[in-house]
Amino acid sequence: MDLQEFRAGLDGWLDEHGPELVPPHGPGVTLDAEMEHLSKVKRLTYEAGWMRWGWPERVGGLGGSTLMRAYLGEALASRDLIEPGIYSMTEVLAPTMIEFARPALAAEMVPRLLRGDETWCQGFSEPSTGSNLGSLACRARPDGDDWVVSGQKVWTSLAQYADRCVLLTRTGSPESGHRGITALFVDMDSPGITVRPIQAMHGRDEFCEVFFDEVRVPGDRTLGEVDGGWAVAMDLLPYERSTSLWHRGAFLRQRLEHLLASPPGEALDPADLGEAAQLAFAFHARSRATQYRMAGGERLGPETSVDKVLLATTEQAVYDLVADAAAADVALGDDPDGARWRTEFLYSRAATIYGGSAEIQRNIIARRLLDLGVDR
Amino acid sequence: MIDAETAELLAHSLRRAFEKGGAASADAALDEVGWCEALAAEGISVVPLLFAEQGAANAASGALDDLMTAMLGVPPGRGTAFVLPEFGGGVMPGSVRNGDLAVRGLGTARMAAAEHAVVVTEEHRAAVVETASLRIRPVEGIDPRLGLAKVEGAGLPAAGARATDAGWTEALAAGRLALASEAAGASRTMLRLAREHAVTRVQFGRPIGSFQAVRHRLAECLVAIEGAEAALAAAVEMADGEWPARVPPVPAAIAKALAGRHARTVARHCQQVLAGVGFTDEHDFHHHFRRVLALDGLLGDARTLTRELGAELLRTRRLPAVPPL
Repeated sequence: MDLQEFRAGLDGWLDEHGPELVPPHGPGVTLDAEMEHLSKVKRLTYEAGWMRWGWPERVGGLGGSTLMRAYLGEALASRDLIEPGIYSMTEVLAPTMIEFARPALAAEMVPRLLRGDETWCQGFSEPSTGSNLGSLACRARPDGDDWVVSGQKVWTSLAQYADRCVLLTRTGSPESGHRGITALFVDMDSPGITVRPIQAMHGRDEFCEVFFDEVRVPGDRTLGEVDGGWAVAMDLLPYERSTSLWHRGAFLRQRLEHLLASPPGEALDPADLGEAAQLAFAFHARSRATQYRMAGGERLGPETSVDKVLLATTEQAVYDLVADAAAADVALGDDPDGARWRTEFLYSRAATIYGGSAEIQRNIIARRLLDLGVDR
Repeated sequence: MIDAETAELLAHSLRRAFEKGGAASADAALDEVGWCEALAAEGISVVPLLFAEQGAANAASGALDDLMTAMLGVPPGRGTAFVLPEFGGGVMPGSVRNGDLAVRGLGTARMAAAEHAVVVTEEHRAAVVETASLRIRPVEGIDPRLGLAKVEGAGLPAAGARATDAGWTEALAAGRLALASEAAGASRTMLRLAREHAVTRVQFGRPIGSFQAVRHRLAECLVAIEGAEAALAAAVEMADGEWPARVPPVPAAIAKALAGRHARTVARHCQQVLAGVGFTDEHDFHHHFRRVLALDGLLGDARTLTRELGAELLRTRRLPAVPPL
């Protein structure tokens, strides 16, 4: 299957099945309901085959170009059938499993994620380890063939729903920095794990604190090399800034078009609107090139930090427009549209914080792309 | 579409062509490189290549005249200049009243030495007039090295080849892609100069490029440049390979606006990083700063193009088309 066939087939399928996939919206819709809807979208698209294209056959995929994955998320987001923040976690976690898990483990687990049977989370940040990932402290000590994990993670998206966690742990000495980190694939129902959702300011409690108290993890759940977790993380982070961002870009375009077509659109300032549309165009162009590089087998690296800065800038420009043009809806609207603009506007403030803050992306650009040397 | 190897060869020849300095020698060198032939053979895909090199080198030539002229179906060449709209705008510089042609616009560095000038009128006619019949006044202005001239004329013969409406729209779009590339090239050079300064200038016992305040400014510059270049590449891709190419006007205007606005961002950060030395006449920075300010005003400035885009979107209630995946 090539992209053109895939596009035509998927578009036709969505024309027919789109109505079944429409998500619930409105102030009363809980994250539980959104997660249930996401599983349904993943299951139906998996069963129809669309979700399987672009993934290797050894993990339940049907092979072919990764552009099909990019297009699937784009098509779903453009039709407002998914929220890409929760949908696109697959794009970050599945490639990591495929690259670093034992082949049998990847073959067993990845289809569950693609099909929406399971939710996974990514245990990276800690209370004392935000931007400085190399300083993480959550400890894994060997015990026979197992690891025993103790420590805490924070900002773990969807941990309260997660069946598994890609977890970064400290296996070297506390001072070992990025050299003493090991990645583990942890069952979230293991004894000793406590999850506490964090109430977020936009009213959608998708981030959590996760506590590990002497949690036993089998040794064969190690991802990559022991003390080689930094490589796993470095491999994963560019994925966070490629296909996921493409999906988010499609979502932003759809929201901007919705704004344009709805009554508040009449109050848009032409200069501000023009600038936001230009930014969205530039991001689309940049991320599109990234999708092609990835599909061509190129290893993604620090240049994806440019994509992230462009996306965050675009996202905040779009919602600044919303806040200006639909000020009353954002401030007071209690109808589904108003409540949604408010939630999304508030969430857009995090675009320069999550997934590596704007400052971290600029540090990466300065060091790795501009070759300015170390920063101290 | 030009292949990578040919593109590299052409870029190399162009870099050498622009090293010599002076519009006349640049034009002679462009003849040697075969710029007009490359345009006819490879279409719009060679435009970013040439103009990015020209911008990076702070060179001036008649390449824009050739591009605009050829886009209107008039044979280009060193003897033929093109009358650009007045500074800031994108309105045709010619008008016909009672059978007489009046002209009010700008010329590039080629204008003074050319024998003929192409004038597009409000009626979408492309008239070829003798430059001897025009008042051509060199303007030093913000960027003396660019060699702009004010061009005025009245009572000229209005007979000329008819250009279609699309002809001007598309010539304008092609010109905007060229100027966007040139601004991006100049931006790249400003960033290179600022980076070189940041890694060599030592204060408080370490290179200033080790301070985050400086690093983030330079990172911001790279993001600005790469964002503009991505939009430009998409706009070029949306043009077809035929010659004269069909160039979609909206993406071209987006690319021009982004390149113009982002070039100012780059200039602001680079000048701050270069600090005192960047304020001297001796340092090259100011030539590039001057250039991006001047380029922004040719064929529609960022402010005007951005407002026009917004107004257009409010009218259509749709976002501009993007290249599909």
